[in-house]
Parts: sequence; structure tokens; C-alpha cells
Amino acid sequence: MFTAIAKGLSITFKHMLPGHSTTVQYPTVKLKPSDRFRGLHRLVPTQDREKCVACYLCPTVCPAKCITVEAAENAKGEKYPRVYSIDLLRCIFCGYCVEACPVEALEMTAEYELANYRRADFEFTKERLLR
Amino acid sequence: MVNLTIDGKQITVSRTATIYEAALEAGINIPVLCYAKKLLPFGACRVCLVQVEQMKGRLIPACTTPVSEGMVVTTMSDEILKVRKTVLEFLLVNHVIDCPVCDKGGECDLQELTYDHEVVCNRFQGEKFNLETDEVNPLIERNMNRCVLCGRCVRVCDEVVAYGSYSFINRGFETKIATAYDRGLNCEFCGQCVSMCPVGAILPRPFKFKARPWQLKEVDTVCGYCGNGCTVTLGVLNNKVETIRFNDKIGVNDGNLCIRGRFGYSYVNSEERLTAPLVRKNGELVAATWDEALQAVADGFKQAGGAGLGILSGARLTNEELFLLKNLAKQAGTANLDHSGGECYKGLTEGVAGALGVAASTGTFPQVEECEAILAIRSDFYETHPVFGMVVNQAVKRNEAQLAIVADKRGKFAKLPGAKTLLHRPGQELEVLNGLARVLLDEGLARTEGVEGLDELRQALADFSAEQVATRTGVAAEALRETARQFAAAKKSAILLAYGLPYTAYSRELGIAAANLAILLGIPGRDGSGLYLCGEKANSQGVIDLGIMPQAGGLGAQAMLEAAANGKLSALYVVGEDVLTSYPDRGKVEKALDKVSFLVVQDIFLSPTAAKAHVVLPAASFAEKDGTFTNAERRIQRVRPGIPLPGQAKTDGAIFAALTEKLGGNLAFTGAEAIFAEIGRQVPAYAAVTFNGIGPQGFVWGGEILAPARRRLQPAGGATAVDGAFQLLTGSALYHSGTVSTRAKGPLAVINEAYVEFGRDDAKALDVKDGDQVKISGNGVELCLKAKVGNRLPKGVLFAPYHFAAAGINRLYKGEAAVAVTVSK
Repeated sequence: MFTAIAKGLSITFKHMLPGHSTTVQYPTVKLKPSDRFRGLHRLVPTQDREKCVACYLCPTVCPAKCITVEAAENAKGEKYPRVYSIDLLRCIFCGYCVEACPVEALEMTAEYELANYRRADFEFTKERLLR
Repeated sequence: MVNLTIDGKQITVSRTATIYEAALEAGINIPVLCYAKKLLPFGACRVCLVQVEQMKGRLIPACTTPVSEGMVVTTMSDEILKVRKTVLEFLLVNHVIDCPVCDKGGECDLQELTYDHEVVCNRFQGEKFNLETDEVNPLIERNMNRCVLCGRCVRVCDEVVAYGSYSFINRGFETKIATAYDRGLNCEFCGQCVSMCPVGAILPRPFKFKARPWQLKEVDTVCGYCGNGCTVTLGVLNNKVETIRFNDKIGVNDGNLCIRGRFGYSYVNSEERLTAPLVRKNGELVAATWDEALQAVADGFKQAGGAGLGILSGARLTNEELFLLKNLAKQAGTANLDHSGGECYKGLTEGVAGALGVAASTGTFPQVEECEAILAIRSDFYETHPVFGMVVNQAVKRNEAQLAIVADKRGKFAKLPGAKTLLHRPGQELEVLNGLARVLLDEGLARTEGVEGLDELRQALADFSAEQVATRTGVAAEALRETARQFAAAKKSAILLAYGLPYTAYSRELGIAAANLAILLGIPGRDGSGLYLCGEKANSQGVIDLGIMPQAGGLGAQAMLEAAANGKLSALYVVGEDVLTSYPDRGKVEKALDKVSFLVVQDIFLSPTAAKAHVVLPAASFAEKDGTFTNAERRIQRVRPGIPLPGQAKTDGAIFAALTEKLGGNLAFTGAEAIFAEIGRQVPAYAAVTFNGIGPQGFVWGGEILAPARRRLQPAGGATAVDGAFQLLTGSALYHSGTVSTRAKGPLAVINEAYVEFGRDDAKALDVKDGDQVKISGNGVELCLKAKVGNRLPKGVLFAPYHFAAAGINRLYKGEAAVAVTVSK
């Protein structure tokens, strides 16, 4: 019986030794999520504009209805998103928008530190998403 | 009838049906791309291939192959699917596949077929076109890189619109759809090609990149412009009308629309709309509360007393609102009630009503397509009612109807194959009609059983022999005789006459003359034939049905204006019409409006009339109303609200009800439905249907063929000729309707200011070129207008449309058929 107790406690004490903890000292230490992690969105830029062509597929597929797109015509006569914003408070990070995008203009990054102080700060506009 | 089997289903269809139509009847859907219901079979795309047991060895296109007895058709098999898939792959070889930026994405036939047939890769490779897009015009964008060469635009423009803008050019892989000399599109801009294009090759520019089709809320309502009563489906996004959607499922227009219907919607979203009541204080119109404004109106009306108040209504209110207006007039104690200038509609209310006992067109529009002979009085008919004009086009082009036009200019109709224009001197329509009637009587072609007044008419027509008419009007005597004979021989025939504010002259007489001709030809009550008097505005017929006309002892519109100018009328209430711009004789209207001590204007814009008012009440456009319109063929149709009212604006009906209450009356109605039921109690023709019983095709009161109560011929006095080297006609331009279209971006993009049109000969003689400023003087008034040179006008005839407030055509036009003018540069 004692051996069994000792065996059990040894495991407990072993975890107290340095190097055996699974706790990460966040925020001083940060983990790198997996490549397939679905964090903050990113609009992919090209040389002079965003890759997005404002096709409205992402707001259409979005189950949380958190994406706002407004298309317009630029000086070259191309279709571009005059407004593109994601309300992260509504977003459920399902990634359907990325999947729906026909031109691979939208990605989900590893960014997961999304806490903020004001409601308005969760509105990610085109400028904030283009990185 | 023919019996055949499709996919094991036994069906019986008409012998003229194609396999595709037969399958559709049996509920079997065959995919198509180049097929369109209203166009003739073409067979360009080969997507509809099916197998026919009797024609083994090859696949047969379903949309062009007529059915035959005992046919056994298979529409779906592995082989057929494989071939269809290959056809789609071929179509996609040159297609740019830019769906993400193409506005058609989501309702594109090619996209849907590709998806249905799982065409995920293409075994063939070819050159993608890189043609320039046609963006020369402001309304229709053509991107031929997306074209699948189905030819629907070519065919609709030829078969239905009869304009012929497009054709195929080049051969083989280079084939494309182009305009003459491959220049930019410059046409009527009806947008029929836009509605027909199955892909995104032809798109409406005002809607470019605005929204995706699935985001739009669709509201079926009736166009607020002319009396044709076309169904328009509003595409609403975020409480704004963003576009007009294609809809050939319901309504009388079969999906056809003109530029006004398709591109003229933007005025409802205008920033200039009135959003709050305005009351004049210290000479300035300032915003006020509804209570304040209504109180001011009620006080003003009370002060004027019953007989001192005159009410002028427009013809774009719903039937329910007109009913409330009539009650308001009763409550205010006035019999002075009228609409649309009080003159132009008399052809219907006095002319036709006197002759036939009914004040309405006797047939319905679709019947005209089957007519053998069609008489259009005034070439402007196509301008005022373009979509009805398209029915005439189809009658002529498809069914080889004989078209005769009594006109003072060579309009669109004159270009139709076999069309005969009886070109007369300005203002002489009446003479020509009388001449035709005389020929019918002289040659014993007239149908005179049960007709009253035959002898009187014979006497009255003593001076209207073909030769006499020929010398007076310039129409050849032989042409008159030939036309009369043609119409007498036709089994089904139609007589068309449009009326409206710019066509005031001889309106009553013209109505009588047209009715005489109709009676002598046996048109009223005959199956398939009809006499059509079509009002200029959306509810012109409803206004007449509901009796918005001088009540017992009351003044008509012109008498009211005179009384106001003489200080005998102290209050005037103008509803839904810019009388200053649209009524004939602006001088007289101006004097009346200036003189009247209390003027109330109820409108959607601060029109020149409203700017003179003491109280301005903001009202609603057709897109914000619930109710019914009655079109020119007596079809009662539902108008449905698509967008909310701007600001504090109220519907005209709500304003009438509130005012009635302020005047001590009580109009307790729960809504349009209850009012419609009440209308039924007072207007017997409307009792035959309930508000909710009005189906998608509307309800035609009096039936498809309205039986005349009597057939009485009445003499109609001849018109007097206008002297002078130049004669100015006014009327409606194709791109505009009334004055409100001058606030809509679409029509404005094509014609944005008034002009005076010259024939080529006159332009050459006067050395006038397109765009020159010319001075036109007549009736003691001089106007400076931009010149436009065209092919339509004969020598000595000028034309100026009346829509534009700034031009002031009605300063010069005082209700005459034509004004003698002088031209200087």
C-alpha cells in the first residue's frame, strides 16, 4: 500500500521539478499555434490594392453575419471593396469566409490576442485587416 | 393536338409546341441557354439536346424541334448528360470566368448550368477574348468577353423592340455581337437586352457593383410612369431601390420594359425628396410639424369656404387615395375637382363615353398582338406607351399585321415593315380620321347595324371626301381609301390613341372621331378587336373611373385657373402634379398661382409649383404606397410598398385622411383593402373583385372585351389648319414621362435638357446643326432652345418635348395642336 502511495506522490512531486510543468508563463512566454489555427483574419494585399474583389461571397456564407462588404468601382474600372469590415465580437472563427473566397484574398492568421477595451476596437476595418 | 411521350410521361400538347415547351407543360425541365419565352426559337447553344426515339443517331435540340404525333423523347440519359457537359465546356473555352467581379454572378444561366453539370475542368483550351467593354453610354454596359453568343439580345432588339441595335459580326471563333460599325451602343436604352442576357455580357450600369442578386428584396409593384401599367419588380437593398429586376412571370408586360421603367426608378431615392411639411412664414418656406401644416391647410380651406376652394389632382395617385381625395373634397364642401389639366382626357370621358357609353378602352393589350390591322393615331404613341408599342411591333413583325399611322411626323412605328404613315399637316389628325370614316361610308364598307346617328354623321362628313381631305391634310386620297379598305377587311383590328397633358387640342373631337371609326369598323365588342385610348399617367384610367372630375356645379381645371386668376377662387390644392411645368399655357397658370391667396401643394419634390405654395405637404412615390392602379386597358393591379417613406413624408392617402379629420369629417379605414371594398360600393365595375383577390395578372374590369352600351356616331368638327412657315408641336419624348422623370438619373443620362427637333431639310435650309442654340418665337413668347436634328419631321414641322421645367415649352404652347413659330439663330 505504501509503495503505491509513494509511487503516486512521486509523480506529483516530479511535476514540481523545473522543466516538468505544462503551464506556459503567458504573456512572457507565447505559444505558436498550429498552422491550421483560425485566428484573426487578414486581407491579402497585392502591389497597389487588396486582392479582394468584393464578390460578397464571405458575407453571404458567414453564419454569424459579421462581415460587411460594400463594393465600388476604382479609377481603373475594377471592382474593389470600398468598405470591408469584420465585427470580431460576432465572429465565430469558423473559417467559412476563407473557404468561400474565390481569389484567396482572405486568410486567418495565428493572431489570437484579440482582447480590447472598447467595443469599437473589435470592428476590424479594411485598413486594419490589410497587413 | 399532338400526343407524345416525354420521359415515359404521356402528354398532349398543341401542334405548334416545341419539345421544350411540351416538356415544360409536363413539368419536365430541360436546361436551356438561348431559349427565351417571348422570342422565336433559335437553337444557338445546343444545351437543350434530347434524344428522340424516331430520330435515332443524333441528339435533337428541344427548343427548336416541333412536336409530332407519337414522338418518344428522352431528356435525361448518360449520353445526353455527357454531350451537354461537352457543350458547356465548349462555351467556357472563350468565356473569361470572372464570376467574382461579374454582377450577373448568382443569377447567371451559364453559372447555374456549369454548377448543375459539375463542369469542374475543361478538356479544351482556347484563347480568352480580351475585347474592350462598351461603356460609351451611361445605362448599358457591354462586356463581350462574357458573351456566349446565344443571340437573345439580337433577337429581342429586333423582334420585340424593333430597333435592331445588335447583330452578329465576323465568323467562326471571331464571332461577336456588335452594334453598327462596332461603335458604342446608341439606342432607345430600353434595356431589353439587359433583361434577356443569360450571362453578364450586358448589364445595367446604374446597378454596377451595387449588390448581389441574392441580397435584394424583391417587391412586385406597378411602374409609376405611364398608363401601360407594367409590372416592375423593385430590387430593394437597405431600404433603397437599387435596381428593377427582370420579371416575366406576372403582369401584362411579359417582362418588357422601357427606359423609364427600367432605369427611371432613381428619383424615389433622390436626396431632393421633400421630407418635412413646409409652411410659408414671412415669405419663406420653412419646415413645420405635420400638425402645424395640416392645421394651416384646414384653416385655409375653411376660410376659402366650399366654393372658394379648387382641387387639382395628378393621375399618379392610387385608386384608394383618389377615393379619399374625393371624400376630402366633399368634406371641404367643394365641387371644384379635376385632374390633368381638365381637357386632355375628354376624348375618353366625353368622346368615347358619348359614342359607346363606356369611358375606357374596349380591349386588352395582349389582344393587339393578334390583330390584323392596327391604326395608331399620332406617332407619339410609341413615345408615350413604349411597352404597348412593343406589342404592336410584335403584331407587325411576327403576325404581319397591317399598321397604319395617322401622324404629323415619321416616328418609330413608321420604320416597321409594311407600316403606312398617313403623314398629315400638324393638327389635322381629325380630318384624316373623318376622311377614313367617309370612305367607309361611301364605299359601303361600314358596319351600320344597330348604329345611331348615321345620317347626322353622313351630313357632317359632306366636306370630307378623300380628295377634299387630301388637299387639306396632304395625305394622298388613294392612301386614305386603301387604308379604309384594309381595315374594313380585317377580322381583328385595333385603333390606338394616346392622350395626355401635351395633347390637349381637339382631345374630345379626336375621341369622337376615333370612336366613329371604331363603330363603322365594328370594333367595339368584337372579339380580338379594340379601341384603345391610353392615358399618359400610371393611373389615368383610375382617375376617370373614380370620377375625379368637376362635380355637379363645380369648375374644371381650366375654369379653376381662370377663376383663381380673377380672384374668384381663394384657395387651390394641387396634388401630385407640377402644374406650372406640365399644364398648357404657363402664363395663365402662373397668374392663377400668384393670385390665389392660399395655395397648398402636395408633392414629392419642391417643384416650381410647390415653390409658390403657402403650404407644401411631402407625399409618397409609387414605391412607397400600398393600393391599386388601373392601367389603360382597365387592368386593376396591386401597387406594393418596397421602401419606407423618406423622413416625415406621408402617403397621399394618409394626408387626405388627416385633412378630412381636421375638417371635421371621419374617414376610418383600416387600410387600402377596406378602401378598395368601399370603392366597389360606389364604382360598380370595381365591385367584381376584392383587394386580395387581385391576382398576379391584375383584374380587368369589364372583361377582356368591354361590351359597349350603345353605338352612337357623333359628328366631330374638323380642325383648322395652322399657318406659318414653321409649326411647333409639343409632346412626350420617349425617354421621359410627365415631369418626374426629369428627376431620375436614367432618363436624364440620355436627355438632360429640353430641345427643339428639326427635320434634316429644315436644318439644312436654316443652317442649324445638332447642339446649336436657336430662338423659337410664337404666341408672343421667345424661347432659346438647343437644336436637335433628326429624320422624323417633315418640312416646316418642329418638335419640342414638354417635360423640362426650365425650358418652359408651355409658355409657348397654350393647348393648340401646333403653334406657328419663327426660328432664328
